[in-house]
Amino acid sequence: MKAMVFSEKDDLAGQILTMFRGKFSMDLFTTSQSDLTNYGADNVFQIKGENAFVDNLSDLIKENFRSGGYDLILIGSSVLGRELASVLSEDLGFEAKTEIMSLELKDGSVITERFFFGGKSIIKEESKSKIFTILPGLVDPVPVDSKSNVKELNLDKQSKIRLVEAIEKPKGNVNLEKADIIVSVGRGLGKKEGLSLVQQLADLLHGEIGGSRPVCLDYHWLSEERQVGLSGKRVKPKIYIALGISGQVQHIAGMRGSKTVIAVNRDKNAPIFNECDYGIVGDLYAVVPKIIEAMKK
Amino acid sequence: MYNIIVCFKQILDIDQMKIDEKTQEPITKNLPYRIEDLSKNAIEEAVRIKEKHGGKVIGITYGGDQASLAMKEALAMGVDEGIIIKGCKGHDPEATASVLAKKISQLQYDIIIMGNASADSYSGLVPGKVARKLNIPILGNAIKLEMVDKKVRITRSIEDKNVVLETDLPALVTVEQEINEPRLPPLIQIMAAGRKPTKVEEISPDRVTTTVVLSNKAPKSDRKRIIFEDIDKGVMEVVKVLKGEVR
Repeated sequence: MKAMVFSEKDDLAGQILTMFRGKFSMDLFTTSQSDLTNYGADNVFQIKGENAFVDNLSDLIKENFRSGGYDLILIGSSVLGRELASVLSEDLGFEAKTEIMSLELKDGSVITERFFFGGKSIIKEESKSKIFTILPGLVDPVPVDSKSNVKELNLDKQSKIRLVEAIEKPKGNVNLEKADIIVSVGRGLGKKEGLSLVQQLADLLHGEIGGSRPVCLDYHWLSEERQVGLSGKRVKPKIYIALGISGQVQHIAGMRGSKTVIAVNRDKNAPIFNECDYGIVGDLYAVVPKIIEAMKK
Repeated sequence: MYNIIVCFKQILDIDQMKIDEKTQEPITKNLPYRIEDLSKNAIEEAVRIKEKHGGKVIGITYGGDQASLAMKEALAMGVDEGIIIKGCKGHDPEATASVLAKKISQLQYDIIIMGNASADSYSGLVPGKVARKLNIPILGNAIKLEMVDKKVRITRSIEDKNVVLETDLPALVTVEQEINEPRLPPLIQIMAAGRKPTKVEEISPDRVTTTVVLSNKAPKSDRKRIIFEDIDKGVMEVVKVLKGEVR
């Protein structure tokens, strides 16, 4: 089986090549100009050209899929990646499964698993799909000794989309995916000023601060890169402390990989208490100072 | 003046969904339906374009027997005409895209708006497929949308940046939650919604999925679930755990 891998992101490309190594022979197609030759792809096709958008990229991938004799397409599940999957699915006439966490071949069919009902369940499906986007963070990229051949591809087709302006999102040095300890806050924080207390705890534990979707995207108390959840970061720290987080399924899906989960919430019926190892029913403003005090002893 | 089409989806209220302790399967029986989260943002944005520039909003939903409820809500929010396509047999992006594109191709439109992915199945496959079937450009993940003459300009939110993109109409735009706050329609509009024209149609899809569901169960959770209602006892235990892990 020969798989075509696409990701514009170095980390996702490395993850997919690591995850499916030995299972498929793979060629990587990427707009990234980084050196990705040591992850086990037979060939790395670097796509050159300004203004790569979903339409002209999918045309290029489609042509190469046909000429390259590939059996399936594995795409990094980013915003662009999911969009490409949908467009390619139509153009090539193949079904697609997005955000999958496992893939198994069985008598000409494919068995995949993905989150369903907003993360409440995992659905296992058998289908004839040939295009897949792979959930980020399933494996760490592991390099190999051999080197891929590098080839260049020119994106010469014009896109119908024009770039007017690109605005970099404020970049901190946060890497929640790599953090050992995360102290995460939800709506229960009540006010932005409450963050100073949370920061004290995070500092004491040498941890990072994370947050739920409303806290990061609606109230902007925290930057977007700190959002934990299905549509944010998927984290797997040793300890995840959820403060004032009710535990909506989308949030749980982002922190399910945590080793130990500690929850503090005023509402004893909050769903987070079903997804924690240790829970304290109480106001975070009453509980957190006590934890800080006891940790200092 | 723009002819605006908004496609929206009705879903089971997943926030109220419980898991069957024995089978570990989600319980879908007797669960209420609601308009899907991003679909609401899509409806809101469609109505805002009409309010700003004039024109007409046609709402389309491909659904089951309860779809008229969702359509009523959409009409109350400001959609002018409703088209309900019957016969949806569950999660099938192939069928949904096929049916929506067939219907849309019979209509006049400048812009089509949809949610970027639905909160329940989260495949995100329908918008791209519809755009390709109609042979129009797709601008995805908009957190801001402006109509500029015969063009649409959006701010697209991707992982590390926001990009401002532009394309000629007709086009399909998908929206993110941050784009707006969907309105709660006042009673008078809810009453008026009943008088707005709604058509019910049947369209059969050209393609259906080959997918067979093998299982659909809650992820295994081996959490200890030790809950303290006494704060001091809870803090003692938690600090013990933390001290074991933090050096």
